[in-house]
Amino acid sequence: MRALFGVLLALAIGALFWWGMQTKDERSELPSALAGRPAPAFDLELLPSSREAWGERLDLSDYLGKKPIILNFWASWCYPACYEEAPILEATWRRWKDQVLFVGVNTQDELDAAEKFIEQFGISFPNVYDPRGKVGIDYGMYGVPETFAISVEGRVLERFAGTISAEKLESMIREVLP
Amino acid sequence: MRRVLWVLILALGLAGAQTVGNEPPPDLPPKVFEIAKKLRCPVCRGESAAESNAGVTEEMRRQIAEMLAEGKTEDEIIQYFVDRYTEWILYEPPKRGLGLVVWLAPVIGLGIFGFGLYSYLRATSRRAAELEGISEEELARAEAELGRDDEGGAPS
Repeated sequence: MRALFGVLLALAIGALFWWGMQTKDERSELPSALAGRPAPAFDLELLPSSREAWGERLDLSDYLGKKPIILNFWASWCYPACYEEAPILEATWRRWKDQVLFVGVNTQDELDAAEKFIEQFGISFPNVYDPRGKVGIDYGMYGVPETFAISVEGRVLERFAGTISAEKLESMIREVLP
Repeated sequence: MRRVLWVLILALGLAGAQTVGNEPPPDLPPKVFEIAKKLRCPVCRGESAAESNAGVTEEMRRQIAEMLAEGKTEDEIIQYFVDRYTEWILYEPPKRGLGLVVWLAPVIGLGIFGFGLYSYLRATSRRAAELEGISEEELARAEAELGRDDEGGAPS
């Protein structure tokens, strides 16, 4: 009886260790405090390459509650993740730009490096410059790249951390479309 | 003389190395680091926002400093980060709900271990006491009986 108890205890401890080793700490699985809540507004300077089409600054509150928004946090130093998803974001934006607004938030970056990145991928959606990364903290961002889907009512519906695929981006867009 | 100089340089270097990382940078008050220690670095593993050099934690410390300058309390500042990151951002789990289990688990574990140890020691000492209470005569009889059993019970 005692031996059986010992074996069961050892098995239970072993199972606990195994479970502990299996538990993933993927950023995409971490909770988002913003899900279902109003998206935080911000008013930031646009990157020089975005100014001709979008003006000097972008105030998100001008668009919140009027149009669904895909908000993408990125940086030129975020290699390879941001470089992998940039062409996907641009191609998807060109397909959906009449119905959804894409906004890029360049986070904790050098202006020249950010501009080089924009030029490299021919990014045409507006990108704001956030050298401090203040907006990222407002959105509870864990690290770049991260993408948020904001409904037409101005609520955060979903957060995706890491390199976004074309399929995932399309599914986020379908989710935010009215 | 040269040897003394080298020893002096080495000692100064070691003293300098000891203080690096332990002292907060001069541009932020120590209170900022006190609060940052209670928050997790969102992009690291097992590091607080006070220890990490990640860009996001630099900004967290800057925001803490700004909020302190605005007169916000420590609780208000911590709540600011919880509102954005959930309670995941707390370096130590809260002492309620599921977090309470994490706090109580070592105490419960220690209790179970203590009880097991106590039961084992009590059983051992009881057995020893029982043996002490047996007289020489009884022991000799038991040994004789055991001897007889061995002789009779042994397979031929």
